Amino acid sequence: MRVRDLAVETWSALDANRGRSALTVLGIVIGISAVIAMTALIGGINRALVGELGLSQAQLVYINVWIDRDLTYDDVDKMARDLTDYDMVVASSYGSATVTTGKKKASGNLVGVKPEYFKAMGTKFVDGRAFTDAEERAGTMAIILDKESVRVLFGDADAKVVGQTVRVGNDECTIVGVVERSADAYGGDNETVNGIMPFSAMATRVNGSQAVSQIMGFAHEGSNMEQVVNRTKDYLALTYNIAEDMREDSMYVYSMQSMIDQVNTTMSSFSLLMTAVAGVSLLVGGIGIMNMMLTNVTERIREIGLRKALGARRSDITRQFMLESICLCVTGGLIGVALGYAGSFALTGLVADAFMGEGSTVAVTPVIDVGTVLFATGICVATGVVFGWYPARRAAKLDPVESLHYQ
Amino acid sequence: MAAVLDVSGVHRIYESAAGYTHALRGVSLTVERGEFLCVMGPSGSGKSTLMNILGCLDRPTSGTYKLEGIDVSQLDDDELAELRALRLGFVFQSFNLLPRATVMRNVQLPLVYCDVAPSKRVERAVRALRAVSLPAEYYDHRSNELSGGQMQRVAIARALVNDPALILADEPTGNLDSATSEMVLKTFARLRDEGKTIVLITHDPEVSVWANRTVHIRDGKLLTDEEERALVEAAIAARPGQGAGRGHT
Repeated sequence: MRVRDLAVETWSALDANRGRSALTVLGIVIGISAVIAMTALIGGINRALVGELGLSQAQLVYINVWIDRDLTYDDVDKMARDLTDYDMVVASSYGSATVTTGKKKASGNLVGVKPEYFKAMGTKFVDGRAFTDAEERAGTMAIILDKESVRVLFGDADAKVVGQTVRVGNDECTIVGVVERSADAYGGDNETVNGIMPFSAMATRVNGSQAVSQIMGFAHEGSNMEQVVNRTKDYLALTYNIAEDMREDSMYVYSMQSMIDQVNTTMSSFSLLMTAVAGVSLLVGGIGIMNMMLTNVTERIREIGLRKALGARRSDITRQFMLESICLCVTGGLIGVALGYAGSFALTGLVADAFMGEGSTVAVTPVIDVGTVLFATGICVATGVVFGWYPARRAAKLDPVESLHYQ
Repeated sequence: MAAVLDVSGVHRIYESAAGYTHALRGVSLTVERGEFLCVMGPSGSGKSTLMNILGCLDRPTSGTYKLEGIDVSQLDDDELAELRALRLGFVFQSFNLLPRATVMRNVQLPLVYCDVAPSKRVERAVRALRAVSLPAEYYDHRSNELSGGQMQRVAIARALVNDPALILADEPTGNLDSATSEMVLKTFARLRDEGKTIVLITHDPEVSVWANRTVHIRDGKLLTDEEERALVEAAIAARPGQGAGRGHT
């Protein structure tokens, strides 16, 4: 029997029982869509966390110290010198000011950074450039906006705005660059402008203080992040005379790795649960398939007898019924892949909130790859084989004489 | 050249919970190429068992059956299937067509199992359908849209399509009215004239007039026409209250 003949037979058999076939594959559809949704979400969350930044976010450590004075960039530079665990230590200062153009006025969340910040964060520019050391030294009023802010201020996210000026507070400020998304943006509604300015300009013209708000260290690649965090805490305690019992209240050293680990732990128990659900669903679905195939065999006993009389061998009959079962499962699986992928988008918001914190700015886009789809298809083929085998064998073993005269 | 069918001393004993059933008791039969043989017998006579053995659907318990010189009792299931695919054509009482499939697909079905290239199938199916005089306008009809006579002609075309050594027909007119039966039997007679070998099994004496030889089967044994007639007359003579000598057709 040729493959093409087998395909024709399979199609016409399934086509004859469309409604029943559709109902039967539901179990498979549910099982596979659960797995795909889960896989796509986990992939998306991992990608969002690890990021597409120049330095992997896994190396990033957030350092905050609360003592009786504000920390300044001098403290940051000292840390950069003293803490050998880091490739780079940078800081930013947070401030806010009204940002205005000729016709638009918006509140602005501003971040002051030094030029090395962009290198550390691996910032990618859509247009324009980073600040120069000269601008930092001179305290030049320059600003880098993200695309969303360009939309807020100019009405079009893709407007060519580099070289134009906006007012920050009362000062003219030149737009020197546009980035996709401000990595350091911290909330605000969709009418808020996120801007990045030279640290010196922020300190003198916006905040009126040299204080830094957030220190970020980038550890060497492959570091043990837990040890890095502990050494950093020890260093801070020593440098700023923080008593043992005050450590909890006076400093906050947090590695993205621990967040990633935490998410991974949560995710792996989540995925274990989903795998169990999918497994049960595939089992139930598979039994449904087997049940339908057994019904098929019984209904088609005379047809099987006829085929045998016309010269079909056992293997021809086995293959015909196996292929029907596999086709059912794979069709269910492919529908499941499509539904699961679509469903993972619907779940994105929910999951992002649950795992990354409320109002997180980390965007989660579900990720699906060819490997996952092939794996799901493979699982479906296996389900079809396992649960189609018994009915197919039963059909193949039927006695041609008895089945021809079966009423 | 060997006879198409050469059956010698065939016994078939069924084993069941109720004991043994001796369905065939030493059947010997030879059918030459181009013969149209009618096997007649009442139900329970063993004619279905004989048909199954001749059709290579079943194997004799003892004795030999040679189809075109090949000893069938030595073959395994797959070899029997291959033999059926290549050398046998079946026509059943209840037609046994795939109801949702078109006439063309039904006729081509045996070719699927004897590995005929798809490009040659249509041509062979059309030739078989022409041989049973089914008008071309029906070729794309589903088989369940046809009348009984048309269905049986499609079934005969299906039996012809692999150019078999032997066409086996089991009560082919059992579900048809007299006019349609005659048309179907004429088709068989014409196929015989074209050199096909046909074995037709029936309990209907009217059918046997189309054959060029008739054998009778009773209690698992074959009888010639003369032996059968003698048996029937003896039975009539033995019945009380009936005048002797009353003939029987």
